[in-house]
Amino acid sequence: MPQQCPNAADEGDRRVTQPPPNPGQTFGAAGPGRLDGFLLTRTPLGRLVRWVAGLQTSVRSKLLFAFLLIVLLLIGVGATSLQILSSMGRHLRGLDEAHERVHWTQQIEHALALQMHYTAIALVRRDEAAVAQILRENNRFNDTLARIAAAAPPDERALIQQIRVSQDDAMAVVADIANSIREGKIDDALHALTAREDPLYRTIEGLVRQVVHAEETRMATFRAGVTAATHRSLIAIGAFATVAILLALLFGFVISWSFILPVQAAHEFLGQVAAGNFGVTVATANRDEFGALAENMNRMSRDLKRLDEEQRAAAAELRSLNERLAQASRAKTEFLASMSHELRTPLNAILGFGELMLDNLYGEVPESLREPLLDIQTNGRHLLRLINDVLDLSKIEAGRMELAPSEYVVSDMLETVRASLRSLASEKGLDFVVTAAPDLPLAYGDGKRLAQCLLNLAGNAIKFTKEGRVEIAAERRGALLVYRVSDTGIGIPEDQLDDVFAEFRQVNATISREYGGTGLGLSITKKFVELHGGRIWVESTVGKGSTFSFEVPVRLPDGRGA
Amino acid sequence: MSPKTVLYVEDNAFNRKIVRQLLGSTTYRLVEAIDGEQGVATAIDTLPDIILMDVQLPNLDGLDATRRLRQEPLTAGIPIVVVTSFALSGDEQKAMEAGATAYLAKPYSPRDLLALIRKLVPEG
Repeated sequence: MPQQCPNAADEGDRRVTQPPPNPGQTFGAAGPGRLDGFLLTRTPLGRLVRWVAGLQTSVRSKLLFAFLLIVLLLIGVGATSLQILSSMGRHLRGLDEAHERVHWTQQIEHALALQMHYTAIALVRRDEAAVAQILRENNRFNDTLARIAAAAPPDERALIQQIRVSQDDAMAVVADIANSIREGKIDDALHALTAREDPLYRTIEGLVRQVVHAEETRMATFRAGVTAATHRSLIAIGAFATVAILLALLFGFVISWSFILPVQAAHEFLGQVAAGNFGVTVATANRDEFGALAENMNRMSRDLKRLDEEQRAAAAELRSLNERLAQASRAKTEFLASMSHELRTPLNAILGFGELMLDNLYGEVPESLREPLLDIQTNGRHLLRLINDVLDLSKIEAGRMELAPSEYVVSDMLETVRASLRSLASEKGLDFVVTAAPDLPLAYGDGKRLAQCLLNLAGNAIKFTKEGRVEIAAERRGALLVYRVSDTGIGIPEDQLDDVFAEFRQVNATISREYGGTGLGLSITKKFVELHGGRIWVESTVGKGSTFSFEVPVRLPDGRGA
Repeated sequence: MSPKTVLYVEDNAFNRKIVRQLLGSTTYRLVEAIDGEQGVATAIDTLPDIILMDVQLPNLDGLDATRRLRQEPLTAGIPIVVVTSFALSGDEQKAMEAGATAYLAKPYSPRDLLALIRKLVPEG
């Protein structure tokens, strides 16, 4: 991974145009995008990715760790939020209580005003009902004050105590006023009202105002607390969320690249291997499953390289062996060609002298010598056939046999074959029939070689037939000429039908001794037929006879033959 | 009519002997040469009526000798029978291209050879 880093930023098209690396080259991953490439190469993130890749722990553990860390962070966010919410609740409750106390305090003020109002009415009307109303308002005042005292924070208690004392004093004055009214001492009552009660009420009013002020201050403090708590909670949640997002991005980047890099390296590696570039290795910093995978791939690459080299060496050896064999084959063909010439020259003399003798050129041949002389001729010709067959076969095998195509009349060719074999067939007392379909066209091919094929097949048929008939037939089938040689001879066992066209194969050695022959005729026939682009086949029943057929094009296509 | 002359160019003594004995019973007169160079020289010297030319000859092979005789105005019209022991396909074509009148594969039947000579140059 570090190797390719300097190029990583302009990675986009590089993979396509990059020349194939040499075998044995080590390469890492390629192809992060522009931003990722920058982050991987120019920031410590690259080192972090390698560090994470190099951790000797499983992929599962790495992923689990990252997820758990982020989950922990989210739990932290939740806990902090809960704490802030509960603190806000506390402040709001205090605010509510303070609000309630302000409300009660206002009720006190109201009750106080009513007391003064009813006191004034009592002075005017001078009856007990007005006095009773003063006492009722006084009771309401005391109830409300008791509620405030119960809910009040400690610093307000002294103030409330003062209010209560002043109220008690005021009630004592009200009692005096009520008595003075009952006794008809209106002036005393007025004096008590203005000189004693009024200042007391003013004192109480002042104290109540102080309580209201204190509560309002407290309320302001609570409000400020709520605002501050809201602010704090926003900051805390924002900070946690930011950290969580950053961590998620970081883990995502680091862990995914610690996986992507080896996968990319493996991808490139496999591409090279697929291109036949064996022996390349893949380098990753990973020590997890990907690292194990890379190690296995490297081992595979080394094995492939070794196998490839072995295979190449074997192929080279085979090529050179093949070359030597081809050379040997050419030498063999040349040897056979020159041997054939050397053999024919004395054979020409042997057959020539024999013929001159049989033609009585050296005087009348005694009857007793005629048969051995004919035997010499027969065997000499057989030797000549052998030499010809061996030469033909070696030329065919060396790929040097060429056809000499020309136009030929099929019936003329059949007549040549018939004339050559007629005496042989009649000597054995066989029916020898040659039939040609009347519509046979002028054909184009190597007529001499095809005649040689028919001579081989019909010669064999005569050789292997003791009684009955041998028939040669020719017919046209579309663009093909079909030649057929059938006999009523010994036949060929089914399991040996495939072998009859192989060289030096006669059905068994006994037959070979009994019937003679080179064992090359069928093989040569098959090859001549194939040189014409045709095919040959045989059908046979043991004891009933055989039919050899071959088909060749009526007109040999150009490009075949000489 | 004067006897017709046959030139046989052949390096093998036995083959020459066969032709010598074959023609011995006819009116043909036989002239022999044992290699290509000698064959060409003898042909120009004696201007035979027909030439039998073996292909495999020392010094100058039969096909080259045939070509040379065809270029020589004196011998250009003489019938030449090329005799080869190669019997490879294409040999006949090569012989005809070199200027042969006829082609005979070895081993030949002396009877067929005589028939061919009689066909090309009837006995005098």
